[in-house]
Amino acid sequence: MRILLSWLRDFVEIKESPRELADALTMAGMAVDAVESEAGETVFEFDITSNRPDAMNHFGMAREVAAIYRRPLRAPSTACAESGPPAASKASVAIQDPDGCVRYVGRVFTDVEARPSPDWMRRRLELCGIRSINNLADLTNYVLLEIGQPTHAFDLDRLAGAAIVVRRARHGETLVTLDGEERDLTDGHLTICDAERPVALAGVMGGQASEITAETRNVLLEAAWFRPSVIRNAARGFKLFTEASHRFERGADWNAAPRAADRIAALLARTGLGRVLPGQVDCFPQQPRLSLIRLERTHIRRHLGIQVDDAEVEGILSALGFEPSSDKSGWSVPAVSHRLDVERGIDLIEEVARIHGFANIPATLPLVGAAPEPTPQAAEDARMRAAVRGLGYDETIGFAFISSDEAGRFGSDDPVSLRNPLSQLWDVMRNSAVPTMVRALEWNLRRNQPFVRLAEFGRVYRRSEASYEEPGVLTLGATGTARQASWAEPAREVGFYDIKADIAVLLAPFLANAPSIVTEGVPTYYRKKHAAGLRSDGELLAWFGELDPELARERKIRQPVWVAEIFLDKVYGKGLRRPTHGKLAKVPAVSRDFSLLVPDAIDFASITEAVGEMPDLDSVEPAEVFRGKNVPDGSYSLLLRVWWQRLDESLTDEEVNEFAAELRSRLQSRLGITTRT
Amino acid sequence: MSIEHKTGRPIGELIREGEDPEQLYGELRAAFERDCSEALTAQQGQALRDRWLGRRSGLLSATNDHWLKAAPRELKPVVGKLQNLLRRDVEAAVKAAAEAAAREQVQAEPELDTTLPGPGRAYGAVHPVRLALEEVLDIFRPLGYSVAEGPEIETFFYNFEALNFPPDHPAVDEMDTLFLEDGALLRTHTSPCQIRIMESESPPLRYVVHGKVYRNDTPDATHSPMFHQLEMFAVDESITFGDLKGTLEHFVRRFFGPQTQARFRPSFFPFTEPSAEVDITCPFCSDGACRICKQTGFIEVLGCGMIDPNVLRNAGLDPERYQGFAAGFGLDRFAMLKYNIDDILLMYQGDSRFLRQFR
Ligand SMILES: [Zn+2]
Repeated sequence: MRILLSWLRDFVEIKESPRELADALTMAGMAVDAVESEAGETVFEFDITSNRPDAMNHFGMAREVAAIYRRPLRAPSTACAESGPPAASKASVAIQDPDGCVRYVGRVFTDVEARPSPDWMRRRLELCGIRSINNLADLTNYVLLEIGQPTHAFDLDRLAGAAIVVRRARHGETLVTLDGEERDLTDGHLTICDAERPVALAGVMGGQASEITAETRNVLLEAAWFRPSVIRNAARGFKLFTEASHRFERGADWNAAPRAADRIAALLARTGLGRVLPGQVDCFPQQPRLSLIRLERTHIRRHLGIQVDDAEVEGILSALGFEPSSDKSGWSVPAVSHRLDVERGIDLIEEVARIHGFANIPATLPLVGAAPEPTPQAAEDARMRAAVRGLGYDETIGFAFISSDEAGRFGSDDPVSLRNPLSQLWDVMRNSAVPTMVRALEWNLRRNQPFVRLAEFGRVYRRSEASYEEPGVLTLGATGTARQASWAEPAREVGFYDIKADIAVLLAPFLANAPSIVTEGVPTYYRKKHAAGLRSDGELLAWFGELDPELARERKIRQPVWVAEIFLDKVYGKGLRRPTHGKLAKVPAVSRDFSLLVPDAIDFASITEAVGEMPDLDSVEPAEVFRGKNVPDGSYSLLLRVWWQRLDESLTDEEVNEFAAELRSRLQSRLGITTRT
Repeated sequence: MSIEHKTGRPIGELIREGEDPEQLYGELRAAFERDCSEALTAQQGQALRDRWLGRRSGLLSATNDHWLKAAPRELKPVVGKLQNLLRRDVEAAVKAAAEAAAREQVQAEPELDTTLPGPGRAYGAVHPVRLALEEVLDIFRPLGYSVAEGPEIETFFYNFEALNFPPDHPAVDEMDTLFLEDGALLRTHTSPCQIRIMESESPPLRYVVHGKVYRNDTPDATHSPMFHQLEMFAVDESITFGDLKGTLEHFVRRFFGPQTQARFRPSFFPFTEPSAEVDITCPFCSDGACRICKQTGFIEVLGCGMIDPNVLRNAGLDPERYQGFAAGFGLDRFAMLKYNIDDILLMYQGDSRFLRQFR
C-alpha cells in the first residue's frame, strides 16, 4: 500500500522527517517497508496487516499519525454546491437483502462531462500506482485511496427504471462484468440490479451494460457496505479479486459510505465536471448494533505488566476515534464502525499498548512455577542419535511427500493422499521412508560421491481407525566404500554385514537379548536373499538389505545400494535396557576350533541352534567362511570357534575335551555334519 | 675347580675341602660381575637371565638346591642370607639389562612421519536444522520448558478455529494450506499442539513445541513446502507482556550473541493479542550495511504475543484466571542465519557435501 506524505498532511500536521515518521508508524504496527522519493514527493510503502482495513487509506493512516503524536485530525472536506431537483426524485434505492447489504447510499450527478481529471489528482493517483482513466473513474479511485470506501458509478440512463435493487441473483441470471466475462449467477450471489436485471456483482465488479462511457451524462454513484463473507465467497467463486472486494472482505465502515459519496460530490463540483443534485438516497434499514466494551484498569496491568496513566489511556483511545467514558474501575467504550476489529477489552489494551509503545514496557522474566514434564522417549532418541552419528551416518531430512507410484511400490498401507498436492511427484504423504532415502542416495551418486552414509529420523503416515498415525522411522542409506580409502587402509565396498553390524549397535541399548533374524516376508523392494528383518518379542524392529537392483536401475543407480528401516515406535517402546553388572571371570576363557564342511542349505543360525545350550558355553563364532578351492560345490567350509568359560575356576583339558565331543556329536546327530578335525 | 662346577656340588663336601660359604658366594658374585661388566644386547640379556636365573639349570637354582637346601642346620642362616642377597642383586641386574635392551630396541625403530593423515573415520553430521533446534532447546530447558512435537496431520479445528482464525477470513487463505482428501490438513504451524497441550494439562505450563509444518508454496531459495517451526508458550495466572519481552530478549542474546537487541513491533496474528513481531539488531554487521539485513540493521526473526483469550477459552482454560504468551519462528531460517546457508532447499536434498559441513 502506497501512502503519500503530502496527502497525509491534508489531515494532520507532520513536523517529523519522513524517516522519523516511518519509524514511529512502524513501531505502532504500521510497518513501513520502504520510504521513496519520487518527483519531489515522499512515498511510503506500507505492509498493513489484514486486521486493519481502516488504515489502508490516507485518512486512516493520518488517524494513526494523529494518535501517535496526539495531534488534531482534520476530516476531508465534503462541502458541496448542490442544485436542481432532489436526487431522490431521479433515482430510487431498495435493499431486499439487508443482511448482505447493510447500507446503500446513492448520489446523483447530472450534466457530467467526460474530461481528464485535474493534474493534482492525476499526479496523486499515479504516485499511488493507479493509472488515470476519466474523471469519474479517477474520482472513485481517489476517494478509495483517501478514505478507503469503494464506490461505483453507474450510467443512470442505462439503469432500467432509474432504480437500484440490492438482492440475491435469481437462478439462471447472468451478468457481463466490466472485464467482458459473462458470469452465471446463483442465489448465493449478492447483486446490484436495476428494475429488471443484475447490473453489478455487489462489492466485486460492475457490469458492462451500465458502464460509464464518453456519452454518459447522468450518473448514479453507489457507496455501500456489504457483508465481508458474502463478498469473499463471490470473489473466490469467480476468482475475481478487485480493489473493492479486497476492502469489503476485510470489513469497510458503513458510516464512511455517506462521507465517501459526499466527498466525491464535493470533488466533482469543485472540479466543475458536473452538477450535484441535492441530497443522498440513503438506504440504511437497520443500523448494526455495536457493543459496549468494558476496559478494566487492572486488566491493563495484568496483561502488560505496567500501569498506564488514565490520561494516556483516554488520550490514545480518543485519538483513535473511540469515546471512552471513565468510572471507578475503568472505562466503558462503545465500539466504532471504523474499527470493527476492536470488540473486547483485550483489543483496547492492545491499542493502548501499541500507541503507548511496546518499547515502554519493561522486560521481566516469569517465575518458574512448575518442574518441566519429561519429554516422552527423549532419552531413547538421544541414545539412538548419538549412535547413528558415531557410526558415521550423516543426518538428512527429506520431504514427507512421495508419489502415489512410489507409495505403491514401497509402502504396505494405503497412502494418505493430498487434495491439492504441489505436484504429481508429491501427491501422497509417504507410507515408507525408503523412497525418500533412495532419492537422496541417487542425488549423491549423480554428484560422484564415493562414500555415502545417510540417516533420516522421520515419520511415515497412515490412516488409523479414528484418524491418522505418524510412527517414527529411522532410515539408513549406504553405498560406495565401507570406509574412505587412504594410504593406510585400502577401500572396501560396503556390504550387507556392515549394515547388519550397524543395526546391532543401534538396537543394543534397547534389547536384553539378541533379536532373531527374519527371512520370510521381506518387502519386495529389497533384493531377494540379500535382505532380512529383525524381530524381538514378536515385534518386527527393522528391515535391511540391498535395494532391489531392478528398482535401482530404473533410477539410474548402477551400484549396490543398502537401506535399512528401523521402526522407532517399536524400538523406543521397549525403553532403554537398564544395564546390570554381573560377575567378571577370574580366569581366561578357553576356545576350540572346529573345521566343518556344511551343505549350502544349512545356514549359520541352524548351526548355533544345533549347538544349543551347554554348560559353561560362552560363545559360538564363525571364524572363517570359505567357498571355492578344495571345497565341493554345494557346500562351504566353516571354521567354528567355540569358547567356554567358568567364572571362578579354570576348565581342565579333560572337561573341554568332553564339551568338544558333545558338540561334535550334536552337529552330527542334528545336522549330519562331520567335523574335520 | 671353576665356581660353576662348585655350584653343582653339595656345600657339605666343599666345606670339608676347606671352602667356606662367604668365600663361595664371593667367588660366585665375582663371576656374575664379570658377566655383566659390559652393556648387554637384548640377546645377551636373555642369556644372562638363563645362565643365572633359569628355572632348571640356572646357577642360582643350583646353589639353592646344592648349597642352601643341603647346608648343615647350623650353617643354614648364613647360607640363606648370602643366597638371598645374591639373588636380589642378580634379579635387579637382569631386569635393568632387559629394560636397557628394550629401550635400545625402541630407539632402533624407524621414525614416523607424523605429518601423514590418519585413515579417515566417519563421524556423522547433525543436520543444521537439528543443530539449531538443540541450541534452542538448551536455552529453554533450564528456564523450565518441556518439549513436545505433536501430530503433523491436523484438523481444521486445531489448526485454525481453536486458534481464533475466523472461518471465513483471509488469514486462512494466507496460510496456503495443504489439505487431505477427507478435509484433514497438514499443519501450517506448530500452534495446534499448543491447544492440545492446554486441553490435556493444567497450568502452569511452559512448553517448547517443534516439528515439521507444511505450506502449499512452490520451492525456491527461501520457500519450501515443508519446513520446521518452533514455538514456545507459557500459561499461568500472572504472565505479562513484559515477561514475554524478557524471555525473548534472553533467548535472542543467547542464540545470536550477547550484543543482540530485540525490537518488538506491533503486528497481527489471530491467536495472540497484543501481537508483536520481533526484529533483532543485525548480528552480521554493526552499521546496517549488509545484504542479510537489507541495509536496515534489523532482521525480522519471530512472531509473538499474549495468547488471545479466545484461544485459552477454546482450549478449556478460563481467561479470567489464566493468561500466557506464545512465540514462534522458523528453525530453518534460524539455521540459515546462524550457519550462513543461502538456500533452504539445501536442507532437504540430502547432499553429503552439504551435510558434512555440520560434523
Ligand atoms: Zn546487517
